[in-house]
Amino acid sequence: MLRNYLLTAWKVFMRRKLFTAINLVCIVLTLVVLMVVTALLETAFWPSGVEGKSERFLQVYSMRSESADHRTVRTELLGFKTIDKYLKPMQGVERVSAFTTPASVSVYQGDRVSELQMRRVDADYWRILDFRLLAGRLPDADDDSVSRFVAVINATTARKLFGDAAAVGQKISISGQMFEVIGVVEDVIHMNAYADVWAPLYTFPSGTWRDELTGSFAAMLLAKQPSDLPRIQREVERVAKTFVTEDPHEYATTTFWADSKLDLVARELLGNKERADSGGTTLLAWIIIAMLLFMLLPALNLVNLNTGRILERSSEIGVRKAFGATSRQLAGQLVVENVLLCLAGGLIGLACTRVVLWWLETAQLIPYLKVGLNPSVFACGMLLAFVFGLLSGLIPAWKMSRLDPVHALKGAA
Amino acid sequence: MIKLEKVSKTYRTDKVETLALKDIDLQVGNGEFVAMMGPSGCGKSTLLNIIGLLDRPGQGRVHIDGVPMAAYRDKDVAKLRNRTFGFIFQSFHLIPDLRVIDNVELPLLYRSMGNGERRRLAREALERVGLGARMEHYPNQLSGGQQQRVAIARAIVGRPQVLLADEPTGNLDSKMSAEVMDILLKLNSEGTTIVMVTHDEQEARRVGRIVRVFDGQLVHPSANREPVHAA
Repeated sequence: MLRNYLLTAWKVFMRRKLFTAINLVCIVLTLVVLMVVTALLETAFWPSGVEGKSERFLQVYSMRSESADHRTVRTELLGFKTIDKYLKPMQGVERVSAFTTPASVSVYQGDRVSELQMRRVDADYWRILDFRLLAGRLPDADDDSVSRFVAVINATTARKLFGDAAAVGQKISISGQMFEVIGVVEDVIHMNAYADVWAPLYTFPSGTWRDELTGSFAAMLLAKQPSDLPRIQREVERVAKTFVTEDPHEYATTTFWADSKLDLVARELLGNKERADSGGTTLLAWIIIAMLLFMLLPALNLVNLNTGRILERSSEIGVRKAFGATSRQLAGQLVVENVLLCLAGGLIGLACTRVVLWWLETAQLIPYLKVGLNPSVFACGMLLAFVFGLLSGLIPAWKMSRLDPVHALKGAA
Repeated sequence: MIKLEKVSKTYRTDKVETLALKDIDLQVGNGEFVAMMGPSGCGKSTLLNIIGLLDRPGQGRVHIDGVPMAAYRDKDVAKLRNRTFGFIFQSFHLIPDLRVIDNVELPLLYRSMGNGERRRLAREALERVGLGARMEHYPNQLSGGQQQRVAIARAIVGRPQVLLADEPTGNLDSKMSAEVMDILLKLNSEGTTIVMVTHDEQEARRVGRIVRVFDGQLVHPSANREPVHAA
């Protein structure tokens, strides 16, 4: 039966090439947008590349302090002391890393000044994230023991500062401090990794950072296994309740949360800073709804086109009914045809998505973007194509399959 | 056996109500060849469609082999159409996108039947109507007579008990009409019940029984004294 369906579908599509082409363009455009978004979301939230272990780490980026009368609220990044005193001693966590968010710095090299993004990071940072080393080495215990001023730069910065010359061993001046470049890593865009230059924590110009409860730090907490994450989240919530600010009279309560990457973004976007639930599930639901709505408009257009296409085949529908096809079988046939067209559109869409992603990477509209069409994005794309086919095929198919055979045979649909 | 009791059918539009059939009582026995005659618009095709379960009566009952059809759901009616009836239409209604063999296979698609078995039965049906050599052709590559023979092959491929033919020769010249009639008479002589709508008095005289319809009513069902069978 499927062969007969496929044969009919192919002939119908080929009979009206322009119509098929319009349908395909409509499908391809929709799917390209959706697949590009999916690929970007996948890069942002799925464990991949430098953040390959993200399925077993959590982040604490900010803390919220509130006065007893709830009138004064302060949200700030963590200070090193908060991480050191409250998070590092936690039990059952494999590693806790303290690192700063990227800060703009001026890098002097000869008579040239470059504005770069710099992070200061501790030794655990390099063990939690999987940077790909292109040359040299990463900071080690030996550097720490003698407080050596070393820096790691990414490939683009190496090219920018040193051209074709080897970057390792070169000296660079960052905001008046001299650093030796000891390693070059691959460019990365990920949330916790993105920067041009990385230097150890002890290279801060002043030593006050060690004693600050709030500052410019964030923390990554690596669990031994993903199933430990809920327990660690509860533990962080408990630890936060024991936190005492510099001014306990002004700020009576402080909260901070250990979040997954999706939760972190959701908490920021939805402003859920005062409760444990970040709204990650809500955000995900909104993303899915938005994608479905985005599909809806072209799907409605396709519904219209499909109804026209099926109307032309009312005589065929009448014949099939006369010879024993049930309404459900006919609806199935027409939906199969539409899903096939959409899957074909999905394959073309995937090829076009690859081209769009390549353009996004090379145009560097998003710095250091590297986004691939891996099997999960491919599967997602084909699923989207399938859903699109169902959405746009089901209504006309069902409507036409209910046709009275006598009228259908007369072509009077 | 097909039995219609007090069957009426009215078509309604917003403003007009048309009585297509009124109080039809009709029985068609197994193995009969019935010709339905009457002027255009008298209700012959409506009657044929009701017999073939393509349409439902407004009032009255239809029994197939003693079973009343009123309570049958879409799925059951579809199954009965598939197993019991074969349809032949005036304008053939072949699917232009499918080859002859695929057109003939169509009724078998809706049965649980393997590919090979379907193909074998379709080939046999085509050979019975003399089109064994045209299996790979498309309908538009055949003459009108050949297309109608494909339609007959499609109607008989599932070995139905009853063939319902709505002016099967209406679009054919006399030579092709005679060929089609010969095939139908042969099928009838082999035991297939046939109900055929026709305008052609001569064709009607070749079959066992003529039913005349006028203004939605049966005039006088009568048996020909000397039915003409296939040569």
